[in-house]
Amino acid sequence: MMRRAQPWLGTMVEITIADAFDEAKLLSCFDTAYAEIAAVHRLMSFHDPASDVSRINRAAPGGPIEVHAHTYEVIRCALEIGCASGGAFDVSCAPRLVKWGYLPAPAGDRPAHIPGRPVLALEPGGCIRKTSAAWIDLGGIAKGYAVDLAIDALQQSGVRSACVNAGGDLRVLGDVAYPVAIRHPRRPLTAAAQLRLRAGALATSGTYFSHKHIDDVECSALIDGVDGRAVTGTSSASVFAASCMLADALTKVVMANADPRHPALRRFGASAVVYE
Amino acid sequence: MRPALQLTALALTGAASTLAFATQYLTVEQAQHVLFPEATAFKDTGLRLSTEQMREVEKLSGLPARSVNWRVYAAYRGDAALGFVVLDDVIGKFELISYAVALNPDASVRQIEILAYRESHGFEIRSPAWRRQFAGKTAGAGGLEIGEGIANISGATLSCTHVTDGVRRIAAIAQVALKK
Repeated sequence: MMRRAQPWLGTMVEITIADAFDEAKLLSCFDTAYAEIAAVHRLMSFHDPASDVSRINRAAPGGPIEVHAHTYEVIRCALEIGCASGGAFDVSCAPRLVKWGYLPAPAGDRPAHIPGRPVLALEPGGCIRKTSAAWIDLGGIAKGYAVDLAIDALQQSGVRSACVNAGGDLRVLGDVAYPVAIRHPRRPLTAAAQLRLRAGALATSGTYFSHKHIDDVECSALIDGVDGRAVTGTSSASVFAASCMLADALTKVVMANADPRHPALRRFGASAVVYE
Repeated sequence: MRPALQLTALALTGAASTLAFATQYLTVEQAQHVLFPEATAFKDTGLRLSTEQMREVEKLSGLPARSVNWRVYAAYRGDAALGFVVLDDVIGKFELISYAVALNPDASVRQIEILAYRESHGFEIRSPAWRRQFAGKTAGAGGLEIGEGIANISGATLSCTHVTDGVRRIAAIAQVALKK
């Protein structure tokens, strides 16, 4: 077994491969998987002015914006989950995250985030169209997608057993069970639960590393798109799903609604656990 | 419902368990090899920054230069210089991270690898004894065996800002003091 970790997507991305390959083969498997993670980082970074996300954020509403197929797929899924969650999952909350200092301010005037107002539409030919002035952030879903791409790449390289973990959003390839610890939301340096996961994804969201007070208002990096308010409180949400992209995004739906039985979970074949 | 998820056991611990999340990913030697697989030799070329160089690093990176001495290895294939490996540790609010940055001879960043990660506030990460306890645990042979002590942590994202800043600082140091 070999484990590596590299900083990507604003966090640490850990890859474990259990197959007993020779060293050269192992190195090439890691390289292939990290190349996928790096691609998602470059395309969907809010910080990098050259990313698809930054190009979308700079674009005026109206015309079609060409994006990479990966970006298109993540936005497509984000819109679908946004719809299934009644707007709780909303990638257009970014202006609020900028205002609260969780994201750096892009150039230009900060657009208002108006809950319920659609800002993106999918166009034929893999393009995106902005329907109103907006900044989007894919931070609540792109890590999961990157994990899925890395797992696919490992599988295509002949790996039978691996785990990819992007800052707490993880997926296991193969039928060998991996030990997983879920952070305790009130004592995050300890485990609330320990379990074994195989052939599936698990993502967890909580506000324990991000909550802070600004002008006596409690804020966090998790926003409920329905009212634009920060999700606060001391609980965390963990979602099990077939893909890490779904697990990652659905944790925000469960957090926003404080509901581990939210109907969106069933729709995507997922299930959730909330720890208090 | 998709029956895709197979949770073999969901064991809830009553009280918070006290395990400290820590992982050694690569030893320094393994990291050198991973970062420069084509290298035939690594030469320890510890770097000592002058006051003037530290000022330049701060100007380039927008960060305090932090340290005069830096752990640097030059990578060679025969006589040909391939680049450098710079080692560093960063301490966050919750975590301690040892990492290595590989740089090309022109000072551009080639690759970053985390060597070790540890949570909670202890400073054992700097001590050889702490490093030693993980020796040999990373590159086991055999079939598909997952070590019991290997935790995969699912939780809210812990920001990697300290590493990102550290890499920016090291890129500036390379620009100022290592560039050929």
